[in-house]
Amino acid sequence: MSTATTSAPAQINRPNIVAVGTIVWLASELMFFAALFAMYFTTRAVQGPEIWGESTALLDLPFASINTTILVLSSVTCQFGVFAAERFQAKRTGSLLQWSKWGMREWFALTFIMGAFFIGGQVYEYAKLASEGLTLSSNAYGSVFYMTTGFHGLHVTGGLIAFLIVLVRVFRAQNFGHRQATTAIVVSYYWHFVDIVWIALFSAIYLVK
Amino acid sequence: MKFGWQLFAFLTVFYIVVDLVYWLLGGEIVGITAMGLSAGLALIIAFYFWFTQRRIGDNLPEDRVDGDIADGAGELGFFSPYSWWPLAVGFTSTLTALGLIIGWWLFLIGVGTLVVSIMGFVLEYERPEYQSEH
Repeated sequence: MSTATTSAPAQINRPNIVAVGTIVWLASELMFFAALFAMYFTTRAVQGPEIWGESTALLDLPFASINTTILVLSSVTCQFGVFAAERFQAKRTGSLLQWSKWGMREWFALTFIMGAFFIGGQVYEYAKLASEGLTLSSNAYGSVFYMTTGFHGLHVTGGLIAFLIVLVRVFRAQNFGHRQATTAIVVSYYWHFVDIVWIALFSAIYLVK
Repeated sequence: MKFGWQLFAFLTVFYIVVDLVYWLLGGEIVGITAMGLSAGLALIIAFYFWFTQRRIGDNLPEDRVDGDIADGAGELGFFSPYSWWPLAVGFTSTLTALGLIIGWWLFLIGVGTLVVSIMGFVLEYERPEYQSEH
């Protein structure tokens, strides 16, 4: 055990305050989604099974499953970007096809594309459901469906903007240091969180119904 | 960190127990969901603190009985000396929220200016000339 008798300011290994702050904020974000889940379950209990039965029949489970898989996989690519950030590697060292030599930039760009694909899929799904008569104001199911998935979609969009900001910050930085790595890591926390929330939402809306 | 994760681990267990009791006593779904996810809230923080403590070790002064304030001295992180950007972010957030009440035209102006002010906020200290000075 180290003693604190040395006069020089001993460099203690502190937790990263940005990362701790992000985690505490994400915990509070969970309560935001708690309100949405509570709204969904309450409306389902109050409205009775008929509205749920006829409205959930409109959902396209295979399509949503593919979309979900892409979002889950984007968490994996995001984590590879974090591994690259932790070894302070911003750029790839090989060609674009040698993915094992990718830096944070390439992994985060791929994550961005996958996240954008998810949002695109959600917009397509919304358009399809709206054309079949399910809108925000059509019935109670439409309201809670669009509120829950829509707020999640807004979070994913916010995450996409955050990825852009990380990429710009790395692009502007002269060297890739702890500051840049911290930004990349906290954005990955957020991305994993949004991903986990989606798994819960997907289970509640598409699987349990 | 040590006390932190123990506190939040306790809260996790507490919320789970309270949630189960509430459920068994016939509580309604809002409370069950809210308390269940309160357990999730505490669990996220407890897990992160526990994980961080394992990674950085046991030597934080706030965890030691004989720790002094001075033991914690050193670099804590980067803090902006001053910045106008938070004011811009606050103002444009207000515009965006007002836009939801007043009309789509104001909402769109709000979102556009909000994105610009967020960019200014997060990129303020990322200028190459700033980094070469410091």
